[in-house]
Amino acid sequence: MIRHLLKLAWNRKRANALILVEIFFSFLVVFAVALQAVYLWTNLRRPLGFDVEDAWTVTMEMDRPADEDATRRQIETFARVLREAERLDRVERVAGAMVVPYSDESRTEGLSKEPETGTAPPPVSVEIDEVTDGFADVVDLDLVSGRWFEPADAALAWMPVVLDLEAARVLFGDEDPVGRWLAQEPDRPRRRVVGVVSDFRQHGELSGPQPYMFERVSVTEPSHRTPRNLVLKMAPGTTADYEEAILARLRGVAPEWTFGVKALDVVRGTNLRLRVIPLGAVALIAAFLLAMVALGLTGVLWQNVVQRTREIGLRRANGATRTAIHRQVVGELLMMTTSAVVLGTLLVVQLPILELLGSLSPEVFSAALAVALTLIYALTAVCALYPSWMAGRVQPAEALRWE
Amino acid sequence: MLRNYLKIALKVLLRRKFFTAISLFGISLTLVVLMVTTALFDHVFAPHPPETRLDRTLGIYTLRLEGEGSRSSGFPGYAFLEQTARDLPGAERMTIYSLQQRAVSYPDRRKVLSWLKRTDGEFWNVLDFRFVEGGPFTAEDEANGHFVAVINETTRERFFGPDTQAVGRPIELDGQRYRVVGVVEDVPFLRFSAFADVWVPISTKASTAYRHEIRGGFQALILAESEEAKPLIREELQSRVADFQFPDPDEFQVAYTGADTLFEALSRMLLPEAAHQAQPGRLLTILLTMAVLFMVLPAVNLTNLNLSRILERTSEIGVRKAFGGSTRELVGQFLVENVVLTLLGGAIGLALSALALGAIEESGLIPYAELTLNPRIFLWGLAMALFFAVLSGVYPAWRMARMSPVRALRGRSA
Repeated sequence: MIRHLLKLAWNRKRANALILVEIFFSFLVVFAVALQAVYLWTNLRRPLGFDVEDAWTVTMEMDRPADEDATRRQIETFARVLREAERLDRVERVAGAMVVPYSDESRTEGLSKEPETGTAPPPVSVEIDEVTDGFADVVDLDLVSGRWFEPADAALAWMPVVLDLEAARVLFGDEDPVGRWLAQEPDRPRRRVVGVVSDFRQHGELSGPQPYMFERVSVTEPSHRTPRNLVLKMAPGTTADYEEAILARLRGVAPEWTFGVKALDVVRGTNLRLRVIPLGAVALIAAFLLAMVALGLTGVLWQNVVQRTREIGLRRANGATRTAIHRQVVGELLMMTTSAVVLGTLLVVQLPILELLGSLSPEVFSAALAVALTLIYALTAVCALYPSWMAGRVQPAEALRWE
Repeated sequence: MLRNYLKIALKVLLRRKFFTAISLFGISLTLVVLMVTTALFDHVFAPHPPETRLDRTLGIYTLRLEGEGSRSSGFPGYAFLEQTARDLPGAERMTIYSLQQRAVSYPDRRKVLSWLKRTDGEFWNVLDFRFVEGGPFTAEDEANGHFVAVINETTRERFFGPDTQAVGRPIELDGQRYRVVGVVEDVPFLRFSAFADVWVPISTKASTAYRHEIRGGFQALILAESEEAKPLIREELQSRVADFQFPDPDEFQVAYTGADTLFEALSRMLLPEAAHQAQPGRLLTILLTMAVLFMVLPAVNLTNLNLSRILERTSEIGVRKAFGGSTRELVGQFLVENVVLTLLGGAIGLALSALALGAIEESGLIPYAELTLNPRIFLWGLAMALFFAVLSGVYPAWRMARMSPVRALRGRSA
């Protein structure tokens, strides 16, 4: 049967070549969209690692300190700002952070573990936030092992850090990271892991997994960089008009800084919108393109059936049933679809082979491929339905007379 | 003859309504996407007030610094621009301004967020703002740190209510009080150099540390004396940047920037390989490739439909050929049909694009966007429609020309 269909298709190769090209490009479009959709979907289902309910952020703009003295004065001012924010009556908890959840900013560093012997493994890129002790409570970090920062850490001769699970995995593999050292950078204090929190995805629900590390900022340490943000846990039900009170109080403490207040779930909304809108636009265009292809294919197949009325009539006269005719029309199209998607698949598997996937995992890639294949087969099957029904209704007597 | 072709074309199109509808749907949809993209592009890059003299304008938009092991890509600082962009030969005027930032106010206990841009006095001479009330602040205001502000119409309405005068009245932003000296028409958000809700002098910043910053938050626009002076400006800026003395040579040793057009600056920001040297050509190639890739599917679809339409009419073609119709005539007729169809789709596409642009404008996704179908975009759309007509008509026409009359008469295509 398949061999016969192949022969029939080959006989009409020129007409079929265009259909093949069309399905090929449709497959590429569907695959590109599916890749994005599957990637976002798997991200959406990962744990986020924090909770921003009733959390607000205060951004502070200040000058880059010119010398050591200015650095010290700045962190002192920050300590006063932090105390002032704590005293506000609707603020429950306060912390300072260099970057806040859902922000686009980030600081990355190439890190590796300190080897027990020999040379350090190649560094991996880890995102780093510098936070004060209160941060874990304000955004509800989920401690997996070890401990979080505490005020007594100020006395340590080394710098305590907390990793998220992803960072623990890429840096230490299956080993327990708590108590281990990171390879030392020249002129920098040694860093030692004191705890591990669950995956922390600063850039929000739709972003992929990214190794993350927290460094401790101490307001009593004059050489520490001043965090650029406060995160505040507000009393539930605090409304936006309270922002003005916060700003007035903080400006009183540091008149030379510029402050801005935002609720973190508003930031979250903006962040999501910025990511979803362009994708939505692309998906909409892709949907229209596919609708166009579907209608076009239906039209072309219909035309094919009309042209081949005599051939179909002959088959009917020779005793072929309607089902057999249906199967022929659908089968021919499915065969062409298969050839097109085989070509398409050969093209897209070059991505993992040439290691062009970037942050996309092979699982995401294969899931997207499966989704794209299903969609394309479903699409072409639907396109073949009406023309095959038409072909089935061909009356042999009329068809053989047709000219 | 042409009238006859047109008549036949309409008849044929009406006879197969389904095919015609699909073709029109495809053409108009593709055109809508292309036109909306073109309109957005035009919105960002074409001269519109207040940026009316783009042909003579160059900007220093980005700054990349490199040192041993450290790199930074971002925006120039005030001190860097002061030292490199001031008094360039061939430049008529030069302005330094900050990137717009959010500023918060609470008039009548409501929260209002405005985009605030800090500029010098020359800003108002380099750009061509349209004042509805009052006027700009001056270089003197900037030198003396006067707390004066120019606001746009929307801000005037937000703070002072509809149909009121604002000049002379106070406005509070980020806890600082300014006196309004002028009101301008709204500037679209995507005109990044000019855009803001409120413009105030740079010297009203709370601290003066910006005067010593090499990087961060500022840009400069240079108005050349003439278009011919632009290469001179570019060269002189490059040599000044090459000679730039870093106050802290331990951190960075080399700076990369240029007197760019907007598109050149965009190539620096988008393409990692263009960090040292703007590559507008490469960016254009990438964008055009994307556009062509997007058009492939609709074009193949249309070709397919056109081919079907022709094959269906093999007997008609056979008759025409048998009675001495030349291939040229037949191909001509078919192309006319195709062009009529495409132009029809183009008209629908134009109408739909206008609707889509209106919807984007309404949605407020892009503040103060004015996305209109101007004649330039209309011509682009027309050109694209014709391109499509020819593209999707060539292969079917070639097939038609090769049909042998004898077989065609019998209703066989090959």
